[in-house]
Amino acid sequence: MASSIDLSADLGGIPLRNPVLTASGTFGYGTEFAPFLDLERLGGFVAKSLTLAPRFGNPPPRIAEAPSAMLNAISLENVGVDRFIAEKLPALPAGVTVIASIFETAIEGYAEVSKRLSSEARVAGIEINASCPHVKSGGIEFGQDPAVLSELVRAVRRATARPLLVKLSPNVTDIAEMARVCEGEGADAISLINAVQGLEVDPETRRPVLANVLGGLSGPAIRPIALRMVWQAARAVKLPICGIGGITSADDVVKFLLCGASAVQIGTANYLDPAVSGRIVDDLEAYLRRHGIARVRDLVGALEIPRS
Amino acid sequence: MSAPPLPIRTDATVVVNRAEGGANRRLVLRVEDWPGFQPGQFAMLSAGARTAVPRTDPLLPRPMAVYRTRSQNGATEIEILFKVTGRGTGLLAEAQPGQRIGFVGPLGRRFELPDSNQRALLVAGGTGIASIYELAQRAQAAGRVTVLLGARSAADLMGVDDFEALGVGLEIATEDGSKGSAGLVTELLESALASGDPARVYACGPTAMMRRCAEIAAGHGAPCVVSLENRMACGFGVCLGCAAPLREAGYALVCRDGPVFDASVLDWERVP
Repeated sequence: MASSIDLSADLGGIPLRNPVLTASGTFGYGTEFAPFLDLERLGGFVAKSLTLAPRFGNPPPRIAEAPSAMLNAISLENVGVDRFIAEKLPALPAGVTVIASIFETAIEGYAEVSKRLSSEARVAGIEINASCPHVKSGGIEFGQDPAVLSELVRAVRRATARPLLVKLSPNVTDIAEMARVCEGEGADAISLINAVQGLEVDPETRRPVLANVLGGLSGPAIRPIALRMVWQAARAVKLPICGIGGITSADDVVKFLLCGASAVQIGTANYLDPAVSGRIVDDLEAYLRRHGIARVRDLVGALEIPRS
Repeated sequence: MSAPPLPIRTDATVVVNRAEGGANRRLVLRVEDWPGFQPGQFAMLSAGARTAVPRTDPLLPRPMAVYRTRSQNGATEIEILFKVTGRGTGLLAEAQPGQRIGFVGPLGRRFELPDSNQRALLVAGGTGIASIYELAQRAQAAGRVTVLLGARSAADLMGVDDFEALGVGLEIATEDGSKGSAGLVTELLESALASGDPARVYACGPTAMMRRCAEIAAGHGAPCVVSLENRMACGFGVCLGCAAPLREAGYALVCRDGPVFDASVLDWERVP
């Protein structure tokens, strides 16, 4: 059966040729990966988060290893929204679906960056990175306080008619509540999870290994946390979900789809193997063929929980 | 010189993996479709041989200088000299001939060759030695080359026989005096520059060593470039992990903007 497999997906109004995207901050501005894979093979990619003005990141050390994970504290380093529009967008092959990611330290900044991106035909959608410290709330992440998150999504929703994704922070007590906030404020989809806040220490120097003290944990170690949160969010809202967290293979992609994600983003694995996302698309197709599944969307939310 | 070759991502086959004195190892990898490389470029190697179920711990690949290469039966053999310092390099040391290692390279920006009237002074300490062999070989074709190697002890030196075989000027310093002169390699640089001949200094090694080389070179009015090491997750400008602080403002990326830098652009107080 199923001589042709339908890999297409829809992420809140963004049509995707397949559900495999790459995650913001792990795929640069896309062209860095051109030597390693055909960018047009991907479902799409989420560009490095943009601020209004170019920003420098944190002092080094910025990264460290942890068991099956890495810890990073890069902060806001990016070329700024205007240079992204002028230089980075035009450099991408025409068939690449580009989602722009935005972050700022104040809500007005988020809205202005979205406005500038919304006039660009190449921007298929906008993803709010809600894991940025909110200066006005004393530095907690926007995505950690439902009232602040609500205000943020509302402001960006007013600023753009493009499909709007909100990338949720996992550093919360109740992810379902945050998902409902996004749905209530008119977001088109949610992406989860962003990195899990962590800390690593050098016992010899008795210092934190990162100059920033705290960092974001990513990689295979966080995958079960991500699956749990995607599953909880999927039961709380009707919004399509883009699953993120420690994906390194097509099997991992299937796990996220089963838990309710309509699409996924590959993150840290891009560092280990810059060609991995293209291979995952091929392997996903092979999985569907092997299991006699004609459409990838038939897997979405199809987790089977045996009755006890 | 031409633009750097585009990097490839491949599974390289281990041909040789042998002890090289102290904790040092020599790894020879066979790679198909190698695009060539320029002196100073590096590669990212998976932390150990590939396993049936991909290993996730340790997770990140390790940046390693490309020491030298040679064509062999239609493919390219790439030599890597490295030191076992932790779990990732420990797993690399255990990789057996025939096993595969995840490989991305060549990466980074090259060393510029010296001008024809300049003597090239190559200063390397510890594993930094692995970064300068190709430069020594190519600079030798252009003019006079002196290589100054330093390490804590004779057992920590790598590649000495190779440099001797090249026929470049070679001086060695060890901190314990077990080979060459007793002391720091930077003291050899001080004497080498004393003649006042036009020279260009290339340094690769521990940060303190490179910083001292930069100071000595500046004191003699000689240009100095350094090749930095840093932690990095990707090696091609995406993870932004390998920030090197600049004197002006902000950071450069060791992988993309370096690893070779003009010593004068770096803010040495903050280089990790």
